[in-house]
Amino acid sequence: MKKWFKILIIASITGVTGLAYIWFFVYNKPHQDIEKSTPDFVISSSECYNHYADGNNSEIKNYTGKVLQIEGIPSSIESNDSLVVVVFVFNEGMFGDEGIRCTMLPSYAEKSENINVLKPITIKGYCSGYNETDVVLEQCSLIN
Amino acid sequence: MRNITIILIALLSIAIQSNAQKFITKSGNITFYSDGPLEKIEARNTQVNSALDIKTGDFVFKVLMKSFVFEKALMQEHFNENYVESDKFPVAILKGKVTNISYDEFSTKGKYDAFVEGELTMHGETHKITANGTFDISKKGIVGISKFKIELADYNISIPGAVTGKIAEEIEISVDVMLKPLNK
Repeated sequence: MKKWFKILIIASITGVTGLAYIWFFVYNKPHQDIEKSTPDFVISSSECYNHYADGNNSEIKNYTGKVLQIEGIPSSIESNDSLVVVVFVFNEGMFGDEGIRCTMLPSYAEKSENINVLKPITIKGYCSGYNETDVVLEQCSLIN
Repeated sequence: MRNITIILIALLSIAIQSNAQKFITKSGNITFYSDGPLEKIEARNTQVNSALDIKTGDFVFKVLMKSFVFEKALMQEHFNENYVESDKFPVAILKGKVTNISYDEFSTKGKYDAFVEGELTMHGETHKITANGTFDISKKGIVGISKFKIELADYNISIPGAVTGKIAEEIEISVDVMLKPLNK
């Protein structure tokens, strides 16, 4: 009887531990912290834009869904509501300027609004792809 | 020489006019919501490209699927990998027309009820969409708001057998954009 009781206790603890693991680390696992992530690619802003605009995004070299660190001279800084977007312009089309749009993390908003658009900067962010006009980087942080 | 100058001025003014009738945003909002017995699913995208030509009523939305943010990372992963296959179909496009608002109304401040119809292409499938909404026209620009529903099956998005009946097969899409004149 004692043996069965021990087995029951061990099975219960194992089961509860397993469920807790699934609950915390699978079902409720946290989103990737882009600010702390090591970049998958370190490239210039022009290389990044041309990669998409020239139709080079492929399974062999795919920036979409990756953490990118890009370096270049920004063209403008846009602020709307709570979002600050650093823009690198390379072209012009039906949606106006086309290039790379980097939506900054709220903690970098104030610093980003004071960026000197004549000087090169380095930004890291999650690349959610190319919408046929712009390359979109999100959750961006300023490296320097 | 004088004629050339007149033609150039005329062409320039036509170009300026044609842009003045275009309103755009690159930071529009789209949220979707579904309420099934197992799970409520909600996601938000704040990176939506949208353009409206107030002369013709034509509009277009371009939506990056990987820009949808879910509360749970696991849901976001499933959405991109298993449901909409965003690596294969990265962009959803809605093209259509505002059928009941004239250029004069779009040029006059006020709030207008709108009826829009168009085609939504997502996950490699295209289907007709009709929706009601409002356009609020002010000095700042045009605020467009609308809600409509789509069936997942129409877009060849299949729900895995294990959760069939537990996740809603219809989702509600809310659109909220602040369009500003294209000054180029």
